[in-house]
Amino acid sequence: MNAKFWQIIVSILLVVSFTASADEKLSVYAVNYPLAYFAERIGGSSVNVVLPVPADIDPAFWEPDASVIAEFQQADLILLNGAGYAKWLKHASLPRRKLVNTSAAFQRDYISVEQTVTHQHGPGGDHSHAGTAFTTWLDFNQARMQAKAILSVLENQRPRHADTFIQNYTLLEKDLVSLDQTLSAIVAQDSNKPFIASHPVYQYLARRYNINMKSVMWEPEIMPQQNQWDALQQLLATHSAGWMIWEGQPDKQSATRLEELDINSLVFSPCANTPEEGDFISVMKNNIREIEKAFR
Amino acid sequence: MINSLYIAWRYLVFNKVRSATLIACITLIAFLPMALQLILEESQQLLQSRANSTPLLLGARGSALDLVMNSLYFDDEVPEIISMQAADEITDTGLAYVIPLYIRFQARNKPIVGTSIDYFDFRNLQIAQGRMLAVLGESVIGAGVAEEYGLAPGDSIVSSPDTLFDLAGAYPLKMTVAGILERSHTPDDQAVFVDLKTAWVIEGLGHGHEDLSRTRDSSVILNRSEDSVTANAKLFQYTEITEENMEGFHFHGDASIYPLTALLAIPDDAKAATLLRGRYLENQQYHIVRPTEVIQGLMENIFRIKRVIDAVIAIVGLATVLAIALVFSLSVRLRQRELTTIFKLGCSRMTAVKLIAAEIVIIVLAAGIICAGLLYIVDANVETLVRMFILN
Amino acid sequence: MIEIEALEFHYPQGEFHLSIPRMSVAQGEKVAVIGPSGSGKTTLLNLIAGISCPQQGTVKVAGQTVSSFSDAGRRDFRITNLGFVFQDFELLDYLNVLDNILHPYRITRALKLTQQVQQRAIDLSNGLEIGDKLKRFSGELSQGEKQRAAICRALLPQPRIILADEATGNLDPRNKGRILDLLFENVESHGASLLAVTHDHELLPRFDRVIDFLEFRTGAAA
Repeated sequence: MNAKFWQIIVSILLVVSFTASADEKLSVYAVNYPLAYFAERIGGSSVNVVLPVPADIDPAFWEPDASVIAEFQQADLILLNGAGYAKWLKHASLPRRKLVNTSAAFQRDYISVEQTVTHQHGPGGDHSHAGTAFTTWLDFNQARMQAKAILSVLENQRPRHADTFIQNYTLLEKDLVSLDQTLSAIVAQDSNKPFIASHPVYQYLARRYNINMKSVMWEPEIMPQQNQWDALQQLLATHSAGWMIWEGQPDKQSATRLEELDINSLVFSPCANTPEEGDFISVMKNNIREIEKAFR
Repeated sequence: MINSLYIAWRYLVFNKVRSATLIACITLIAFLPMALQLILEESQQLLQSRANSTPLLLGARGSALDLVMNSLYFDDEVPEIISMQAADEITDTGLAYVIPLYIRFQARNKPIVGTSIDYFDFRNLQIAQGRMLAVLGESVIGAGVAEEYGLAPGDSIVSSPDTLFDLAGAYPLKMTVAGILERSHTPDDQAVFVDLKTAWVIEGLGHGHEDLSRTRDSSVILNRSEDSVTANAKLFQYTEITEENMEGFHFHGDASIYPLTALLAIPDDAKAATLLRGRYLENQQYHIVRPTEVIQGLMENIFRIKRVIDAVIAIVGLATVLAIALVFSLSVRLRQRELTTIFKLGCSRMTAVKLIAAEIVIIVLAAGIICAGLLYIVDANVETLVRMFILN
Repeated sequence: MIEIEALEFHYPQGEFHLSIPRMSVAQGEKVAVIGPSGSGKTTLLNLIAGISCPQQGTVKVAGQTVSSFSDAGRRDFRITNLGFVFQDFELLDYLNVLDNILHPYRITRALKLTQQVQQRAIDLSNGLEIGDKLKRFSGELSQGEKQRAAICRALLPQPRIILADEATGNLDPRNKGRILDLLFENVESHGASLLAVTHDHELLPRFDRVIDFLEFRTGAAA
């Protein structure tokens, strides 16, 4: 066994290890399902996407424990939604270098949340908590931009696979553009049609598609209290909506009572977490079909 | 020669004060320059290696040395404050990634380093016990801090108030020790690391309190209107962030104006580094420095001063040697009678020379041994000495 | 033991001149030398010890012509054959009594310090009644004890001749007699000769013979 033989072996090993490490899957953690979906669609086999939020919890208000935060810290990329999403990010220590604010391109267009009680104290004077609407992906054009941001960062990380990523992104873009156009067309039939949102999570949807929407603060599975019904009545006085948009299937009693007020229910799931069935695109298609009901 | 050494030894022991003085003089003259050399060499190595591993540093225009000393060695001279906006600006260039630093506060005389957790990867710091920072209010401490204060994961450490009389200023914050770093033989061993946001809480920029819109304690409410609630000073501002109150902690205002002391900028390559430096060449607000250059300049100055000190020591040394020579010659004169006696008894004049020589040998040997011992102690503690005399 | 023939000596400077046609001391003899100050008694001892050399004449000690030896030769001869007892004891203040006694053995290669020598030193000191003070320093001794220590030092190399220069000069009357007794005892027991310079006329009868230095002094006095 001479030196030359060992040189060849070592060279082969080096090449193999280099190739292997270059092809090692990128570990991508996302703060919500839409971003995880986009990353999977674009990254394909080059990424290992993780959304560690339990299925029954809204990722916006989820509080991970230290061990989950540690997992985020170890990831290669951390996809953030931006617009103040999610609460736990305010208190968590994450590596700046790995953070990707997917909505940085349109951060000037964030919507401030109204009707938040502000508070002030001490010598600092008046402060208000800048509430920002965070369901940016419900504007499918913004969703496309968020997906583009993911494409960009994946290209940087794995330039060898850039072509594949672009191909994948193009297909995803097609789907999102289709959703965007379909919904635009539907709402355009009657853009003044008033809607009530059961929960203030449709701001971007309303803005993009010109939906005449006002919001209350109800939960689908909880029968609203009398004062909430009263407030609805007051709202209906100036905004006589015939449809209420729910995040999920409403409580039967709530739906029934709404029908007594000539308000129908439709479900437009924000799809912030992994759906029980289907994927982001199929859920949104379903959402569009639901909204279409109101325009028939 | 043994006999001469024995006699010389007896003479030195009998004249303890004289002997001790001579030994002390020679020890000092030998020890001082060597100890100085040791400390300076070590400090050069310490400072230089740390500086070499830090590509670029951005700070407010001003003293580059203050910037480097505070950012790399956690000196308590705080440079002029910059804002987070500077971090965003550099990130936007795409030429480098940044690690923000806010090194202003102390906890039990140890510097609190507010930073992002990229810092630990960058400095190759590993966790020895416990875990990395996860949430607001946690700290990770250097091995030296843990050892000095007997801290373990789960213990707490409290930040010191900025000034004793700053009643409206930063509140001492009780931080949980999440983890302890492995010893790195760098200034990181003596630091308390917190997330940048935690440092801002200590500053008073972030705080927690009861949700005023829901509070039942009307005595803390000064005024309540439809969309605004004003609290009075009775409202308690927390000094500890726990699982229960963490949700209530928040920051006011735009994060881009929040303070930093410096930014570590790690460029993608040499070209990016040059481009980045070029962009800030004319900037009135900030400057980018290369720590290597700054430290090289500092060391050149230090060694220049050392050369002067060496010259002074050499002159003093010469004076000491002359004084010692005088002591010995006077000693010989004082012992003239003894020398006459032993000559009469039958010893040669060479014997007298041997006796004096033996004394000198013993004194020099003793001084040498003590000097070696002291140098050994200095060597064993050189890191601490460098920190005491050079860094602080 | 000591034979001096036709000795002429003068110092390089000064008018002092010593002229000794003949002088001898037999083995075992105890001789006193008296004379006025400046008459050259100490010079005589130096010439016998080989510390100084005569310009003319011979000095024979124990059959050897010391005056013709080299400087080194005279030194070695001196330390092995002669013992000195001084008026001011000349003990070293930084050595204890034992080390003082052993000192000659440490300052020359001509004498070898062995266990036997150490034991002999202890025995001598016991004999001179200072055996219990060996660890003390000269500063802690009385005058008499000091002189006894000095005598031990002189006797330790078992010299053939003891040269005593005013050995009792600094002692009180009670100690003078005692020291002289001890000196005589040890000189006799060692079979050595004693040449003692003294001013003390009371002690003269105890000696075998007295040499009056007036006989030898020449120069200005003559």
